Amino acid sequence: MIPELQFSRPKTIREALNLLATPGQNNRILAGGTDVITGIQMGSKRFSRIDLLIDINQIPELKTITENKAHIIIGGNVTFTELIENPIARQKLPLLVKAASTVGNLQIRNRATLTGNFVNNAPCADSVPPLLVYDALIKIESQNSGRELPLQDFLTGTYKTLIKPNELVTEIRIPKADTELRGDFYKLGRRKSVAISRISLAVLAQIEEDKIKEIRIASGAVTPIGERFPDLEKWANGQKISDELLKLLAKKMAEKITKANGLRWSSTYKIPVLQQTFYQLLKKVTD
Amino acid sequence: MPKITFNLNNKDITITTAYNRRLLDVLREELGLTGTKEGCAIGECGACTVLLNDQAVNSCLLLIGQVEGQNVLTIEGLSTKGELHPVQKKFLKHGAVQCGFCTPGMILSAHALLHKNPSPKEEEVKEAITGNLCRCTGYKQIIDAVMDVTKG
Repeated sequence: MIPELQFSRPKTIREALNLLATPGQNNRILAGGTDVITGIQMGSKRFSRIDLLIDINQIPELKTITENKAHIIIGGNVTFTELIENPIARQKLPLLVKAASTVGNLQIRNRATLTGNFVNNAPCADSVPPLLVYDALIKIESQNSGRELPLQDFLTGTYKTLIKPNELVTEIRIPKADTELRGDFYKLGRRKSVAISRISLAVLAQIEEDKIKEIRIASGAVTPIGERFPDLEKWANGQKISDELLKLLAKKMAEKITKANGLRWSSTYKIPVLQQTFYQLLKKVTD
Repeated sequence: MPKITFNLNNKDITITTAYNRRLLDVLREELGLTGTKEGCAIGECGACTVLLNDQAVNSCLLLIGQVEGQNVLTIEGLSTKGELHPVQKKFLKHGAVQCGFCTPGMILSAHALLHKNPSPKEEEVKEAITGNLCRCTGYKQIIDAVMDVTKG
């Protein structure tokens, strides 16, 4: 049962920010509702005692996907379906589109948003690993100020981010690469659809002849939140590509995750699968 | 209580209801449209599927205030002048209904697909109904029925 609450549908970002600044009450943004409404419905503590829900679905400014010289800019209320069907995203952000296609099911993708996915910041958020390897930045606004920061810094812990109660994520900005980057995304769930990720991996690399010039690696679900692996990346950068190298890199990755998580009941399955799928992903990207 | 106006099954209606009502609650309890079912209530089973501006969505995940000014289609709005919609007819022909609980949602998901893509491949039909669970597991008949619609 959903408790009594107030509801508002602003038409501009400004209006939404003003509503978010209403003092003395708990104001929450409602975008796709696939986490918020289910959270309220199930009595989740994270969504308790909401006084005002601010539905941002009538704000056209938050629905666009554009590009300029330096960035691809995704509005703060773009749904997974809108992303998947967008020509700019399809051409320039293939890993993100692939990850988006694996989210929930069609009904969920028609409503759930990319921004909602990382603001909720579940460990299994499918869009996070690709956004991290794309070095995504986010623009956050409040009534009186604004800031831009890397997504990586914004995500602080499981279901935790740096967002303040009066703030709204208005844009995701993805820097355009000046060289060709090759990459892929992999997700393992218990079944093909409506599946929570058990393992998700994203790799983006610049390959020069037979060398890894630069590699970016991110995981989800096997780590407390989606994260990058700077040590591994640094270790791999500049190395000559060989089967041994990729196997070693996969082994190092598995060791790192085991160390971070400790041994769990699922480790005997997950760690070898993680190592093997990561190896296959590396092989595909460097082939 | 607020007044909310939206287009339901090709008719504009205005209802007076509280903001903490889901579209699903209003359809079933206030408007008597019980074709839309409540299954899991967390957006996984698809029994509550309706079309919002021609897109399949879960009505358990929409608050009533969110449909103000929008177009909503439920299973009750699919037939015209007492004649079943072609998708409904093919479901009957193929025996694609067992207990019937998933059927309204299945039919609306299929209808949304065919509206966007009148000649889908079988894989596309399967993809379009991934959000609709059938626990009688009659998927084969359902897919056959949808594919048959494309043949006219």
